[in-house]
Amino acid sequence: MNGTPRALNRLLLGLLGLIFLGAGALLIALASIPVVGRWWQDWAKPATEQLSSLAAGTILPGRSNSWIWIVVSLVLVALIIAMVAWIANQGKGRSNILADEYGDADDDGAAGRVVISGAVAEQALKTALAERTDLLAATVSTYEVRGRPALRVHVFPRQGVSPHKVAAEVSTLVRALDLVAGRQLPVLLSIGSGTRTRFTRVDRVE
Amino acid sequence: MSKPVSDAKLMRRVLRRESHSSRAALSTVAAVTVTVIAVYFLLESALRALGQPPWLADPLTAAQRVADLPEGIEPGLLAALGALLALLGLVFFFTAVLPGKRSRHVIADDRIAVVADDEVIASALARCARLAAGVTREQVLVVLSRRAVTVNIRPTSGVPVDESAVHAAVQEEAGRMALEPRPQVRINVAAVGVVGV
Repeated sequence: MNGTPRALNRLLLGLLGLIFLGAGALLIALASIPVVGRWWQDWAKPATEQLSSLAAGTILPGRSNSWIWIVVSLVLVALIIAMVAWIANQGKGRSNILADEYGDADDDGAAGRVVISGAVAEQALKTALAERTDLLAATVSTYEVRGRPALRVHVFPRQGVSPHKVAAEVSTLVRALDLVAGRQLPVLLSIGSGTRTRFTRVDRVE
Repeated sequence: MSKPVSDAKLMRRVLRRESHSSRAALSTVAAVTVTVIAVYFLLESALRALGQPPWLADPLTAAQRVADLPEGIEPGLLAALGALLALLGLVFFFTAVLPGKRSRHVIADDRIAVVADDEVIASALARCARLAAGVTREQVLVVLSRRAVTVNIRPTSGVPVDESAVHAAVQEEAGRMALEPRPQVRINVAAVGVVGV
């Protein structure tokens, strides 16, 4: 329901996985196979010397240090910003607006703008669901999916409650909400189980 | 309001996303790991850029030590570090590559999109099987996978369980749920009964 960038998650996780796997395999090989150790030193020693001479050759006039460290620092800052942005994109997509539109001639012709807060649907559904004894908890939240408002209803039924009955009843409630709000919103019902459902008494009375 | 996508298309997309893992938790772990490493490198390179003494190791000295590698460190420690890194890499890689299906089923409804955790479905089917077989909660175990429901029943000693009746009841309940994908029902009645449950 949320806007987590899933393709990006898979791409970056796969890439990082391969890098870590490669580095780990190299370390294991260095520790256990002498030939790999010789090959590594033959390759890495000249590379390090090149790096040293590069650092020595790029010293700023009048300073004792190379500007290469400033470049490296900036690249690292960019990397850190990218990682923070990646984290910030997880689970985004919550919103609190159910509808936002201007009156037009097709409607009743009145001028002005109508904004319906997501709290309208959230409170209405939550109150209706709170009365039920077969549901331990219910949460309703508004999301923006592909630029459109949508509702997510998450319910935790007691053990043994038929999920299709819960679905049918929530479906009825949503139809009633359609009439009240004057529009059909996409609704996702997620019927879940949690620690609370596992440790509470099964309701035997129906 | 413009309609970029139809409701049906939007809900199909939402349902597909709900039945697969988003990998958000592991992504956050990976991002934090990379950030911590990058912050340390940033510290050392900034100290070097400012001409200050290094905190743990000067970048060039560190590169030199890495280039010398099998020397200068206990081989066992090096191998352990490598194994740890490779393990982390494997976890990241397989999480990214595997399909990441969550144990959930879609329940058909003509107004709303519904997903139910397998645990909820299994406990509803267990209740149904228990009522049909006339046994207690502890005697029924339901295992639900994507395409199969296995109902294991341990009958009470001396009281036979009508397997076909239980099968019909569970089949009917599963049919009413209109699950997608539709699982096949199998009933296992244990040969040994239990006493005093």
